[in-house]
Amino acid sequence: MAGGIGTGDRLRAEFVASFVILLLVAVLPAFVTNAYWQGVVVVSMYFALLAVAWNILAGYTGQFSLAPAAFGMIGAYTTGLLSYYYGTGAAIGVPAAIIVSGGIGLALGRIVLRLRGPYLALTTLSFAEIMRLVISNSIDFTRGDLGLNVLGIFEERLAYYYLILAVLFAVQAGLYYLLRARAGLYLRAIRDDEIAAASRGVKIVWWKTFAFTLSAAICGLAGALYGHFAQFVSPELGLLSQTGIVISMVVIGGLGTLVGPVGGALLVYVLSEFLRDVGNAQLVVFAFLVIVFARFFRQGLWGLLLAAVGFWRARPVAPSPAAK
Amino acid sequence: MLTLDLLINGLIIGVFYALMAIGLSLIFGILKVVNFAHGEFYMVGAYAYTLSALMLGVSPWLALPLAFVVGLVVGVVVERLLMRPLYSGYTSWGSIRDEYAVIVTFALSIFLINVVDKVVGPFAYRGPPLVDVSRIAIGPILISGHRLIAAVVAIAVIVVVALAIRYSYWGRQIQAVSQNRLGASLAGIDTAKASAIVFALAGGLAAVSGALLANIFNPTPDVGVFPAIKSYVIVVLGGMGSVPGSIVASLVLGVLESFGGVYISYQYRDTFGLLILILFLLFRPQGLFGEKAREV
Amino acid sequence: MPCLVIDRVSKSFGGVKALDAASFSLDAGELVGLIGPNGSGKTTLINILSGHLAADSGSVALDDEPISGLRPEVLARRGVLRMFQLTRAFPRMSALDNLLVAGCALGLPQHEAHARALGLIEDLRLTRIMHLDAAQLSGGQLKLLEFGSCFMVPPRIALLDEPFAAVHPTLKEIMAGFIRRRHAAGQTFLLVSHDMPVIVELCPRTVCMNAGRVIADEATRAVLADPVVIEAYLGEAAI
Repeated sequence: MAGGIGTGDRLRAEFVASFVILLLVAVLPAFVTNAYWQGVVVVSMYFALLAVAWNILAGYTGQFSLAPAAFGMIGAYTTGLLSYYYGTGAAIGVPAAIIVSGGIGLALGRIVLRLRGPYLALTTLSFAEIMRLVISNSIDFTRGDLGLNVLGIFEERLAYYYLILAVLFAVQAGLYYLLRARAGLYLRAIRDDEIAAASRGVKIVWWKTFAFTLSAAICGLAGALYGHFAQFVSPELGLLSQTGIVISMVVIGGLGTLVGPVGGALLVYVLSEFLRDVGNAQLVVFAFLVIVFARFFRQGLWGLLLAAVGFWRARPVAPSPAAK
Repeated sequence: MLTLDLLINGLIIGVFYALMAIGLSLIFGILKVVNFAHGEFYMVGAYAYTLSALMLGVSPWLALPLAFVVGLVVGVVVERLLMRPLYSGYTSWGSIRDEYAVIVTFALSIFLINVVDKVVGPFAYRGPPLVDVSRIAIGPILISGHRLIAAVVAIAVIVVVALAIRYSYWGRQIQAVSQNRLGASLAGIDTAKASAIVFALAGGLAAVSGALLANIFNPTPDVGVFPAIKSYVIVVLGGMGSVPGSIVASLVLGVLESFGGVYISYQYRDTFGLLILILFLLFRPQGLFGEKAREV
Repeated sequence: MPCLVIDRVSKSFGGVKALDAASFSLDAGELVGLIGPNGSGKTTLINILSGHLAADSGSVALDDEPISGLRPEVLARRGVLRMFQLTRAFPRMSALDNLLVAGCALGLPQHEAHARALGLIEDLRLTRIMHLDAAQLSGGQLKLLEFGSCFMVPPRIALLDEPFAAVHPTLKEIMAGFIRRRHAAGQTFLLVSHDMPVIVELCPRTVCMNAGRVIADEATRAVLADPVVIEAYLGEAAI
């Protein structure tokens, strides 16, 4: 970004933008009363949480994991299995999901500390596939591909809507305060140049593990909430194509920004519902968009928007005499 | 003679794995990236072979080189369009260039799978066999004629490619660029061309693998997903960038899966490879034969 | 009072002996130059001192405490800060943020770090570009930025690996002036450089290395007149 705008201002702009988006989502049911479409927005918020979580890893520490959907699945199955075997509800299931996902994320995070790029991707991919295959094949325990029925929480669909919206907002706000503080400096430093960060004294091990654990915990939370909303969980939650959707949302929205994952998720998922009517071509379109954005518009839609605003602001004005 | 049977079958499957793994290994050697769309090169080859034989009435022996050519073309196109930023001073992704490759090839994989799903349809076709002999007896073993011939073709291709990499003009250019890109370009080697050749070759080899196996694993849009995962395992096991390593590791994995599927667990046979992958990535990332892996 | 003691440190890469029982020490508050022909092991030694490489044998002690084998981030928090030969900064963070990382990571509270960063930016004449991303800075500005990062929290010892290489004379003056002032205030430096005039100007004492060994360790003028040193650089005895 051009000079004059400090990083703090950038972050604030991103947070405000995401806040506006969430505000719009909050008032949406006044205009969209169709229960199906409200449900679509609920699911898009599930993906938004996964996207926010993945962005913490990829956008802010440079760890491109291929396991977000798998952690969502783990969270969903934690609450699902508890519900199936012990009849517990969300009050126990959701915190349990956070702890289990976070715990596994902590372990995996420690294991992959020294890996980057394709090595990290391959390891997380294997982990994700193993998890999915194990859940899918443990038919006696998890009912495999048949899935599990999960207790709901509310009668009203709108209650789920506002619950998950509140969670999404809380996560965003928490992330904003985290990134404003030193954590934000450290995470971005690690992403930009891990060796330089270490030589300046940043505790690499601690922060990378922290990011991994936090990301996994948020994914688990999302998965559990989704499970209670859909009242059903299946291994399909952990498919690699689901991770592909999450990645597409973040890349299209704007990788490494606070607003990219939220905006990207809502946009991509709602768009996908329209595309569903036009012949189920969602994945084709998104994959294509990811490729185009990654190749040509790395800053994502948010970056393009800022550039457009920048252009608008910098309309014909005599160039200042101050040189470089 | 179950053991011998399992061994032979394992080796044969390993040979087909090797076709895919060699390409993946070469790509890693020259660009230092893992091509997450490799399974889709396989899938494209399987479809090219099957559809040209079934719908255009082409003989399977012609459909095979056709599939190879299709794979070549797809490989080149992907390299030109998407892989350039990895080496031509594109700064947007800066120091996380590798991550760009992960995202772009991962998305490409999903794109290709779904495009084929839309255009051709999700129904499985049956790839025609190369020879119509269903059972050939070799000593105490019974093998389908197609499987045997396909294995022979695969071995021939592997040998030719391995020799070409080692001794031919472009083979040595490729080796040079893999070892030191900057140095090679200073020595006058056209590194962009070398990258394109490698991608084309990788595409062609994977396509041939898909074609040869089309009779056994019927082409569906996601038919390439499992072979791709096996390739990742093999390439890490054998050492990223090492062609002989890939060949050896392919045979090893094929045999391991063959025996493991019968003696340990049929259900979880796909997870063995994944576990091996994780273990090697953690403790011996350079595999059995590869260059010392990049560290942070 | 020895601050840094390097005791018979050796390091080989495959068959190449980069360091061969190198030994010397620094007292607190000294500004010592480290010179030697290319390939003499200077950067390898710096890498070992800062924790980026592990020595094969020998030991390094900081204030009488062994520091061999500690990780870079641990050493940084003990006060061993370094500059890299090929400048390393955080490209997608502003110049100001680059300095803040260094300050906060070493324990400064945020407002303090902010104040110091602004001060350093003034000192280094980087005020105009302080909000630009590091990726947008020129090579010289980046070097100044990395240089400044080492001094957000005055280190126990600053390891400067060729800070003047390929730098505009004006920027060189800024850095040299900065080093002089801090040295006068008691900062310990180990300065690797090929720039002999600057070494003569700044460093009372110089260590010279060749082929992994320390071949001279005395007052700078004496080192530069030492026939062994001249031979190392020119490859033949001075006439």
